[in-house]
Parts: sequence; structure tokens; C-alpha cells
Amino acid sequence: MHTIRALIAEDESILALTLINMLEKLWPDLRICSNAENGVAAVQEALTQLPDILFLDIKMPGKTGLEVAQELAEEWPDKHAFPLIVYVTAYDEFAIEAFEHAASDYLLKPISEERLSKTVKRLQSKLANSQDRSGELERMVAQLRNLVPEIAAVPPQQAEKLTLIRAAVGNQIRMIPLTEVLYFEATDKYINVVTAEHASLIRLSLRELLPQLDGQVFWQIHRSTIVNSQFIQTATRDESGKLTLKLRGSADKIQVSRVYAHLFKQM
Amino acid sequence: MLLFLPADVPKKRTLLSNLGAITLFNTVVAIFITYVLNTGGSFSQNWVFSMLIGTSITLLIDALRWFIWRKNKPHKTIFLLVCAMAAPVGYYFGLTLGFLIYGVSVPGLAQLLGRGDRVLVVMCIFISLIAGIFFWNQSKLAELKIQAEKEKALTAAIEKQAMQAQLQLLQAQIEPHMLFNTLANLQGLIALDTERAQYMLEQLIIYLRASLNSSRTEKTTLKHEFVLMKAYLELLAIRMGKRLTYLLDLPTQLQAADIAPMLLQPLVENAIKHGIEPKIEGGNIHVSAALENGFLQLKVSDTGLGLPFGYDESKSSNDGSHVGNANVRERLLALYGVTASLTLIPNQPEGVIALISIPLPA
Repeated sequence: MHTIRALIAEDESILALTLINMLEKLWPDLRICSNAENGVAAVQEALTQLPDILFLDIKMPGKTGLEVAQELAEEWPDKHAFPLIVYVTAYDEFAIEAFEHAASDYLLKPISEERLSKTVKRLQSKLANSQDRSGELERMVAQLRNLVPEIAAVPPQQAEKLTLIRAAVGNQIRMIPLTEVLYFEATDKYINVVTAEHASLIRLSLRELLPQLDGQVFWQIHRSTIVNSQFIQTATRDESGKLTLKLRGSADKIQVSRVYAHLFKQM
Repeated sequence: MLLFLPADVPKKRTLLSNLGAITLFNTVVAIFITYVLNTGGSFSQNWVFSMLIGTSITLLIDALRWFIWRKNKPHKTIFLLVCAMAAPVGYYFGLTLGFLIYGVSVPGLAQLLGRGDRVLVVMCIFISLIAGIFFWNQSKLAELKIQAEKEKALTAAIEKQAMQAQLQLLQAQIEPHMLFNTLANLQGLIALDTERAQYMLEQLIIYLRASLNSSRTEKTTLKHEFVLMKAYLELLAIRMGKRLTYLLDLPTQLQAADIAPMLLQPLVENAIKHGIEPKIEGGNIHVSAALENGFLQLKVSDTGLGLPFGYDESKSSNDGSHVGNANVRERLLALYGVTASLTLIPNQPEGVIALISIPLPA
């Protein structure tokens, strides 16, 4: 039997140390492989260390715990079992409600030893049951589907719907009707707006853009891609299970992540 | 206190102040006498007499009223009795005046009554009573209006005060997220480093006490606000470790300066929440106070993530930080007037500078 390894993502070092100490006491066999201090590091560390368990703080610089989980769900290598995730949060009514709703494991800060020992028992029994583990990724994907919009989304009342994208190109402003947009692709600080004729950059994040789009027409299909469903021609699944979209008026192949694969099931 | 009442309460109406209405009344009476009673005189003649009699009665009522009640509100029944009694006297006086104007010898009182003026005297009493009731109701209406206006002003003042209190309370609120994270750190430190736990607990006590005080007072000193900020920043510095450094800069001569509570604190909280906390490498916060051109300048500069792209000060959107700024602006306006301001500008090379400017009392 291999050693169970856990990764802790927590930006406040005292809290990370406290959790480590508590875990040492409650679960002496557990090995803490790494302690990531922000969201970006958490993704990197998790993908290199491939731990069995992740303790994810919700509010971290760089990426939130949920963004980390979503990115991992998309990027996790197929031949490794997806880690069991435990969210950690200080206080957030909405988050707690969402966690309860999605039946995900979460801990409240300050962490009570009693609560943590329950979590430890649950994790241990899940890890012992290998069948349970094989479905973890699907379970996590389904959870994220419920959690992400509830926690990350901007309240709907302040979202005004866009009809036109204004993108700066050199010293010009290019006016792009939304109906012509094939897809949006997020890069580091910008979004690439792609039409049949051209691609233009706008300085915005997908999180800001998403509530301004009509969800019936524009579908998020990856953490960094939103596609105009009107232009989707086919969705193809390859041998490894990867889903790719072919759009009318474009030669580009667009990746659909696991988190959003349910959008392309047949009727 | 912020309670205030309108200074220009309209003066009470007197009968004389209704000259226009009285003239109209008298004219109607003249028409009635000329064309309905048909006493024989011309309209102009009757109008002059009517005016003289009417005005005499009015003046008499006003004089009596002043004599009896001064500026107090008259008793209604007695007032109407005065109206009825003033009518025959005013009638006789006005008539005499008219006769003098037209150069007719003035007949004696007994002669007049014998002439069949009794009908006219009764009519006078009647008209006088009607006019009395009419003006009574008029002044009553005006009174009610003034009262309604007073009440409205009072309600507005109370509402304004309540809003002020609410805004202040809102800003003095301790964020649960902050409190629970601090407690979680304390829980950890008790096991890891009791001395530091002790120190952190002290900071939390200072912070909580100062916050509670701030939500209850209307005025505090810069020194008090800086003590509150220091405890707050110290708590965060323990939690964030190397990611947060800070500097508080309060000149000795400004320590006792008056300031409304919870104006500076929200700016520091915003700098942490939107600037330093979400930034991976963290940053620095510098809070300073200075006197410049008759203004107290309070500055919070951070080296955090900076203002959101396309940030427009004139537009107040709904996201959390801007609501906080809108609250500060509203309170600045209410407390210090239009010359007080809050401005947010980009810090170089990165971050935000929030500047509060308050006029000093002359």
C-alpha cells in the first residue's frame, strides 16, 4: 500500500502550519507533500506532485480554491486517480450553502479537531475503497458545475447584456457585433475575440465578460473558452475521450474540457 | 445635532392682509345692492360705500382681534361674535365717511335706523359673519399647511440622521471573514507560539474596542483612528507574514485633530481587500495625514493590484469596493459639505492612492 499524500493550499502560513499539526495528530501516516501559498502555485504543485488529497483554501491570491479545482479537473492526467478535495473557508454564507448543496467536503476556519477527525475518517474510507475513487473526477466535475456558478458568478442584477464588442486595434476601435463572434479565448490579462475575419484583444477577464453574455447563445466550454453555440458544426470525441468542436467559418479546433463535456451529450 | 427647521415660516394671515379678497367681497356686495336690492343709487356710488363699510368693518375686526388676543389664536365663537358686533359699528362709520366724501350732511344714528337701513345693517352682520368664517377657514388651512411642512422637514431631518447613523454603523461593522480568520490564526498560535498568540490577542482587543467605540460616537481624533488602523494592520501583518508591510505617518500636531470615525478605516480595508490580499507577492500600505492649504489631507497609498481597468470615478457601480467609497463620499458631504472629497488615483508604478480632503474649520 502506498503512502497517502496530501497537498495543502493556504496563503496564511500560521493556518497552514496549524492544519499540518492537527493532521499529524489525527492521521500520523499521512504525508504532507507540499504547502502552496497561492492559487497559481497550488495548481502547479498539484500537477507535479499528483497528491491523493487536496486541502484548498477558498480565498487565495492568484486563484480561488474553486478555480484551482476547476483547472485541475481540466488538466488532471487520465492515468492518475483524481485527488479528493476538501475546501477550507473562514466565513461565507453563500459558500457554505453551496458546499452543502453540492455535498462537497468542507472545513470551517477556525478548524475544530472534532470536525477534522470526521473528515479524516471519511477520506480514509474513500481511499480504501478504490471503486469509490474511480468516480472521483466525475463527482468533482458534477460538483463544480453546481459550485462555480453559485460562488464565482457576479450577481445577475448588475449584468447588462452586451450587443457589441469594442476592441482597440492600433489606434482604431473595431466594433464587433456579438452575433459575428465565433468564440472568446482568455489569455493572461486579455480575451481574444475571434470572428470569421479577424481576431482582436480586449482587456477583460472571462469572469467579467460571462455575465454580460446571453447564456443561451454563448456557452463556456473550458475555463478559458466561451463559444457562440450558433456556429458549432460538430463535436468530435477522440480515442482518449477528448472533445473537440468544429465551428462554421473557422478552421480552428476548439477544446471542450471535462467540466463542460455534458453540454455535448446526444439528445 | 443635525436637526433643523425651515427658517422662513410664513406669517399668519390677518383679515387686512387679504385686501384683494376683501375688495372682491365688497364689489359683490355693491353689485347685489345695486342690481338686486335696487335701492336706487348708482353702482359706483354703492361700490364706494360698500368699500368704505367693508374696510371699516374689517379694520375694526382686526383691531378688536389684536386688542383681545394679540398674536394668539382667537376663540372661534367669540371671534365670530366680534365679527357680528363689529358689523353695525363699521357700517355706521363707513356710511358716515361716505356721506362726508359726497358732501352730504351726516344723519344721526336714530335717523339712519328709521330710514329703513335696518335691512342693510342686518345684511352687514350677515356678510361680516360669512367673511369671518371664510377667513377663519383660510387661516386654518394655511396653518395646517405650515404644520405639514414643519413635519415634513422634521421627518427629512430625522431620516438624514438615521441614514448617517446607518452608514457609520455599516462601515464600523467587523467583517466576519476577517474575524474568523483572525480567530483561526489565534487558535494556531496558541499551540505554536504562545507569546505571539498573546500579542495577537492584544491587537484584536484593541481593534474590537476601537471599532465598537467608533460605531457609537460622532466625533473622534486622528490619534484614535490611527490606533484602530494600527491594530487592524498589525492583525493582518501577522496573518499575511512577509506579504504585508505598512507605515503609519501621523504628525504630532495632528494627533488631537477632530475627525468623524470610520472615514479612514474603510479605505485601509479596501486597500487590503482589493489591493494587497489578492496580489500574489503582496505589497505595502502607507497611511499619512497632513495639513495643506487649509485642508486636512488623509492619504492611503498601496502597491496592490490597482484600480480595475476602465475605472471611472463618476460612475458608481455595484461591486463591493465602490459601495464602500460611495458611503465615504456621502458621509463626507453630509459632515463637511461640498468642499470635502475622496479621490482615487493610480499609484506609481502600481496600486492605488485614496485621498480624503476635509476643509479645516475657519
